Amino acid sequence: MSSFRKALKSRQKNHHERSQPGFRKHLGLLEKKKDYKLRADDYHKKQNTIAALRKKALEKNPDEFYHKMINSQLQDGVHVMKKQDEEVEVTEEQKKVMRTQDIKYVEMKRVAEAKKIERLKGELHLLDADSKPKNNHTFFVDSKKEVRSFDLASHLNTAPELVDRVYNRPTLQTLETKRVQGIKPGIMKKLAKQRNHQYKILSQRIDREKKMFVISQKIQTRKDLQDKTKKVKVKKETPNAAAIYKFETKRKR
Amino acid sequence: MRPGFSPRGDRGGRGGGRGRGGFGDRGGFGGRGGFRGGRGGFRSPDGGGFRGRGGGGRGTPRGRGGRGGGRGGFGGGKKVLIEPHRHEGVFICRGKEDALVTKNMVVGESVYGEKRISVEEGETKIEYRAWNPFRSKLAAAILGGVDQIHIKPGTKVMYLGAASGTTVSHVSDIVGPEGLVYAVEFSHRSGRDLLNVAKKRTNIIPIIEDARHPHKYRMLVGMVDVIFADVAQPDQTRIVALNAHNFLKNGGHFVISIKANCIDSTAAPEAVFASEVKKMSVENMKPQEQLTLEPYERDHAVVVGIYRPPPKQKK
Repeated sequence: MSSFRKALKSRQKNHHERSQPGFRKHLGLLEKKKDYKLRADDYHKKQNTIAALRKKALEKNPDEFYHKMINSQLQDGVHVMKKQDEEVEVTEEQKKVMRTQDIKYVEMKRVAEAKKIERLKGELHLLDADSKPKNNHTFFVDSKKEVRSFDLASHLNTAPELVDRVYNRPTLQTLETKRVQGIKPGIMKKLAKQRNHQYKILSQRIDREKKMFVISQKIQTRKDLQDKTKKVKVKKETPNAAAIYKFETKRKR
Repeated sequence: MRPGFSPRGDRGGRGGGRGRGGFGDRGGFGGRGGFRGGRGGFRSPDGGGFRGRGGGGRGTPRGRGGRGGGRGGFGGGKKVLIEPHRHEGVFICRGKEDALVTKNMVVGESVYGEKRISVEEGETKIEYRAWNPFRSKLAAAILGGVDQIHIKPGTKVMYLGAASGTTVSHVSDIVGPEGLVYAVEFSHRSGRDLLNVAKKRTNIIPIIEDARHPHKYRMLVGMVDVIFADVAQPDQTRIVALNAHNFLKNGGHFVISIKANCIDSTAAPEAVFASEVKKMSVENMKPQEQLTLEPYERDHAVVVGIYRPPPKQKK
């Protein structure tokens, strides 16, 4: 008997989902209950929203104050929030580097730059840089009379026109006895040009090194922040400096 | 003209953090902004001994160091102009570079990786070494226009706080084979470098001893004409005075470089310099001029003076 039932099963008909009859084809796919349910829920949700908004509008107190009244403005007929003029903490350039490079790379580049700066500084000594910070030169003399009759050129025993040439004010004897070496006339202008170029390179390198220093500090700060220990922000981040946090000290055992 | 120039120690700022940092054993960021406020925090600071100098920077003598090893200088005599300086033995080199130089006593040899410049004058070839004012207080003072350094060919100099012997090598260039430099340094570590410098230069006598106790090396040192001191200690003037009483001839001179931070980090630098000058006059050291080292160092001054000046003739 049971085998007969099994045999019957094999002859069983597969039930197919009902489809749209041919003459109603123009109406699209036949809607099933679950489709209907989706549609109905959506419809009711919208209706409810509209009803709620309508109710809210009816009950609105025209004298009430909202912050958005002053914080937003119309732009092309749309309300948008006014921009807070908060200062940028990380410049776009920094973001770009911080997203793509890791700290080791930035540090490596920075150190390479610092080395190059050192080398350039070893041969460029700012002899007549015009905007360098001025130093103070004090002479101690014995009496007020000497102060009154003080003359820099005669005190230094040099020519008066050389007094402002701080990096080298040869004495009169030196001027008479020694002479300049290794000169080839006509080349000085070219050399001065090359020298200026070198100074420009140096200042660019110094700039670049500073920037990389800031970036590497910022990356490091972000890394440090992942630590779970308690910390307090002491100073805000600026484009020129990383934020400063104070971490709670904890004794390590 | 060129913005960003500031002496060392520009960014002492950070370091309030916690000395942890992703650099493993290199000290991380906490090491920044330490005693010198310097940037030397990359190698571990060597503790400095006498002068408390940090690690990186003040180079060790490493032959020709770094790059640029191949050529000796830059292109020979035609491209540079060597101008004799106010101070004998010192020169200004102007070409593509803009440098203070001294005549190299040991030709073909750099002491701390500095650049060498050779100039041909007819047959003879003279080699000069660049003297970096960003590293040497004496060079900074010279470029700042100091009236006298009292160091010239043939003088006997006592140099307190010689460190690795970088400036000492230039002083030895200046005094030449007739002169003598007694280089005193307390720290063994930098003293080792100093010894290496002295090996090549016969006019340097290295003394690895505390400058506070001149009696310990009194057997080595004769009378000197000048004492130069760059010890960066709070009792610096006393140290110099002690040595002056022992070794400086009457009417000899002293050149002291003062770092305001090392003497009193809370007072204004000018006040510190003034108080140091006052201390000197008590010790029979009469200051003659004082010079700040502005573009090269911050809050540093060099005081030059005379020890036990001869009495004035009355007219």
